[in-house]
Amino acid sequence: MSRKIIKSKYDLYEEKIETIAEVPSEKEKPLAPNSKLKYVGKDVNRYDGYDKVSGSAIYTIDKVLPNMVFARVMVSPHPHAKIKSIDVSKALKLKGVLHIITNENTSEIPWYYNTSKLFDKHLRYQGDEVACVAAETEKIAEEALSLIKVEYEIMPHVVTAESAMKENAPKIHNNGNFGRPSEYTRGNFDEGIKQADVTIEDTFTTQVEVHNPTEVHCSVVNWDGGKLTVWDSTQSIFSVRDNVAQSLGLNASDVRVVKKYMGGGFGSKLEAGKYTVMAALLAKKIGRPVKAAMNRREMNLSVGNRPDSNQTITIGTKKDGTFTAMSHIAYGVMGAYPSGSSSYWPLRSIYKCPNIKIDNKSIYINAGRARPFRAPGHVQGTFALESIIDDLALKLGMDPIELRLKNYTEVDQDGDVPYTSKLLKEAYEKGAEEIGWKNRNKIPGSQTGEIKTGIGMASQIWWGGGAPPSYATLKLNSDGSAKIFSGTQDIGTGTYTFMQQIAADVLEIPIDKVNVDLGDTGTMPYSGGSGGSMTAPSVSPAVYDAAIQMKQKLISNAAAILEVDESNLIYSSGNISSKNDSSKSIEIKDVVGKIHERVLVTTGARNENPNGYAINSFGAQFAKVEVDTMTGIVRVKKIVAAHDIGRVLNRKTLENQFYGGVIMGLGYALMENRVIDDYTGKVLTTNLHDYKMPTMQDMPDIKVIIVSEEDNLISPTGVKGIGEPAMIPTPGAIANAVFNAIGVRIKSLPITPDKILEALNSKS
Amino acid sequence: MKDFNYIQPDSLSQAGKYLSNRNNDAVILSGGTDLLSLIKENIYTNENVVNLKTIPNLNNIKYKKGEGLTIGALTKISDVAESKIIKEKFTVLAEAAKEIASLQLRNMGTVGGNICQRPRCWYYREDFDCIKKGGGECFAYQGENKYHCIIGGGPCYIVHPSDLAVALTALDAKVKLFFDDSSRIIPIHEFFILPEDDYLFENILRDGEIVTEIIIPDLPDGAKSSYIKIKERETWDFAVVSAAAVISKKGSNIKSGKIAYGGVAPIPWTEEIINKSLKNLNADKNEIEKISKIILADAEPLEKNKYKVILAKNLVKRILTNLVLDA
Repeated sequence: MSRKIIKSKYDLYEEKIETIAEVPSEKEKPLAPNSKLKYVGKDVNRYDGYDKVSGSAIYTIDKVLPNMVFARVMVSPHPHAKIKSIDVSKALKLKGVLHIITNENTSEIPWYYNTSKLFDKHLRYQGDEVACVAAETEKIAEEALSLIKVEYEIMPHVVTAESAMKENAPKIHNNGNFGRPSEYTRGNFDEGIKQADVTIEDTFTTQVEVHNPTEVHCSVVNWDGGKLTVWDSTQSIFSVRDNVAQSLGLNASDVRVVKKYMGGGFGSKLEAGKYTVMAALLAKKIGRPVKAAMNRREMNLSVGNRPDSNQTITIGTKKDGTFTAMSHIAYGVMGAYPSGSSSYWPLRSIYKCPNIKIDNKSIYINAGRARPFRAPGHVQGTFALESIIDDLALKLGMDPIELRLKNYTEVDQDGDVPYTSKLLKEAYEKGAEEIGWKNRNKIPGSQTGEIKTGIGMASQIWWGGGAPPSYATLKLNSDGSAKIFSGTQDIGTGTYTFMQQIAADVLEIPIDKVNVDLGDTGTMPYSGGSGGSMTAPSVSPAVYDAAIQMKQKLISNAAAILEVDESNLIYSSGNISSKNDSSKSIEIKDVVGKIHERVLVTTGARNENPNGYAINSFGAQFAKVEVDTMTGIVRVKKIVAAHDIGRVLNRKTLENQFYGGVIMGLGYALMENRVIDDYTGKVLTTNLHDYKMPTMQDMPDIKVIIVSEEDNLISPTGVKGIGEPAMIPTPGAIANAVFNAIGVRIKSLPITPDKILEALNSKS
Repeated sequence: MKDFNYIQPDSLSQAGKYLSNRNNDAVILSGGTDLLSLIKENIYTNENVVNLKTIPNLNNIKYKKGEGLTIGALTKISDVAESKIIKEKFTVLAEAAKEIASLQLRNMGTVGGNICQRPRCWYYREDFDCIKKGGGECFAYQGENKYHCIIGGGPCYIVHPSDLAVALTALDAKVKLFFDDSSRIIPIHEFFILPEDDYLFENILRDGEIVTEIIIPDLPDGAKSSYIKIKERETWDFAVVSAAAVISKKGSNIKSGKIAYGGVAPIPWTEEIINKSLKNLNADKNEIEKISKIILADAEPLEKNKYKVILAKNLVKRILTNLVLDA
């Protein structure tokens, strides 16, 4: 099958990502509809389910190598300080301590886009790395940390955006506390406001949320001569390979990154950790494998978070609800090092509006740096936007869905190009029906009684159409089994399983004949990081392509073996036979068995994205809540998630993703909150009691409705990603349902009992 | 975490002897659900840990009509939650037990340990040299005090974390203590102490003194009781505010009643004026409303916990309504 090399373009936020990629030169015939397939789209059990449930799956945190030692990182106890001196002599004398690295014995390795170093003397948050100890046991390493004597020069700190933006605020970086701003204009906002009959403006705030995946961030490293192997708990093995190689001055080919199972990442594991590079430096010095693992406290300080936000939104409309102007003026904290905190994208993209003004500021504070977090910016942006749209609907006397439909757009607002598919209208219809939209309170808060119920909804837009380069290699063996290799990684979402399903359906063989190996930069063809809801839409077409090629290869080989012209052969259920002569038939395992190498290999590639289209996923979630007006407690009774996500690859793992996204959205809406003490600049929520996440008992009834079939304009598998869409609208839907129940708008997340009680109290 | 010696006494008297020797720098372990995290976080750095679980006969529930209930200090919280007699007769205690933490923690945690657990204040648990740990100030007073006390505070502003303690206070329980080789029994309201009396501790236990038993006087037939706990998630959380009430009725009147609140003060809180006003009260909607309005009249909430006053009033209203009107 012929190939071509292209410059692949993919939009993510303002970034136009360009990569060189090899893609099939012709558009391939798409995978058959799910109704005609045996495995794809069905309730297929996870490939790795048994290993995970039985405990035989070895995660990175479980990895043990012979002769392995342990590293622990010492971090700054102060939010802002300079290291005056470090004395490790006492720690080095402790029995079992093997080596300690600090800024004094390590070369300067740039970090955080060159704004800092692996070991920086200038410590900008509680959790900034000071030293790293390797010892025979984790306990000895921990004890050694307490023996390191550091003299700090304590500097004034700022831990809120409001104080960091003040002119006389302590500067975290030489050029001040402002990061790269996000500004955007479409049309003329002021003109648009002049045309409006009604305007609404309000300010919404959201908190810092911490990823807190089950598996802590960790690496195990081992040198073999000048070559380094890293087992890492990561969402992106190739990014870690490149980061580590660059930090250590190695060729990328000399670093091999491996990851088999993953205990969650949610965006916090897309880059190499400092601990990974520190472990590699220690391992080199000691000559033994090193494991470096964070503890839960460090997980809450140092490995990322969702920035907070303060968003002021203005919308101008005609009397009939047609938007004439929208603006989004916001700021948020990105922590001590460069990241981003903008939250405007939903407002910019989801509704039709000719005049838009956006100004988002990202602020440095003395706290852990933000990292991508399951739909960066979109979750907080959707909460604010969808809250004010409901308020506007009330003001206009319109049904909230009607107002959204009034401003529905069939074309992407930036590029003025159509979407490959957009079934948001259908999601509104199906979702509204399932939740009983017509039963919501016409007048919010109008129910009598102490416990009031409410219904609310929110819409969602995201990218997640996938892109090349992404490759998968398929091997077919003479026992009839197949194996797929791809340098993507399964972060718990079901990547292993859908690959199996696609190959089994194309080759028409039993699914248990198909094995999958993922997550090894040393032996597998490239695929991208598992973030941005990109994995399935990027890699599923590559697997499909590999399987299609394999089928063709089998037919060609069978033709030679059977001495029948290819055009006279039929492929069916793993058998190849002649149309005319039923005695000429061969099973595919025998085809492989008859060829010299006893194995057939193909490598498939993700196709090029279509020109002239925008690729987005859409959805709407509906929440039914009960608010106890005596206690301020919100119970989410039901969430309906109605989404347009292209083809469903696996109904079970799809629903799992939605359950995970919804419960994460519920946690963000109602309880999760990183709290910093302003006076000392220290984090108060470094354990899983004080940082409250939802438990199984907080889970509502979740109903998942998929309104889409395959979208074959995108790729032959027609898939859009669902990781992020599953969470984006949940908090907005819950907030609107709470408003519908009590008739008072809670404008800040999380919606905790104190806020509800105080709001109800000041209303009455 | 500091290494420690693990001491396993066979008898109460052996434990008492060991613990009463101050040179031993020992701390008591029962269920360990709180102590082990205190040790791991280096808040406790004792040389010796004395395990009480090897001592027999400290884990039983006994009831005798007219006399009341006794609960051994090592009784599992889950056993209290599931005990038939406690559920029937001392409902408030079973309900409080059931509200504690998670099933796994209730299966480990003990009654004695629960009332002796240390505060959950995040300044106490995190890396702050706070007054409770012998430092110079209470960081919560002007800091992040959403979960802190609204009454009885100063110079430390914790709330007492135990659910059982609130129920036991409403039940007028007594606590049996063992020291060296002798016992004493004291009313539970004397067991807990305010920070103004001693801000380093939450109770009167001397170094090495062991809680061995809880004694609850019998309730008159027909007495009713209940516990309501407000927490920010469905399970595994401490009370934002809780209320325990025990009511005896005579016809439609309340004969006598006692209410205790959790999450509002450094100790389980009761108000004499409220308990008095419950006496011979003709309980209707209006009277309940009146009472709920005057509770915690002396509260002095901090900047971020004014909502607790509203919450406590609403809880009392709800608990009385449930016990008296909806019965």
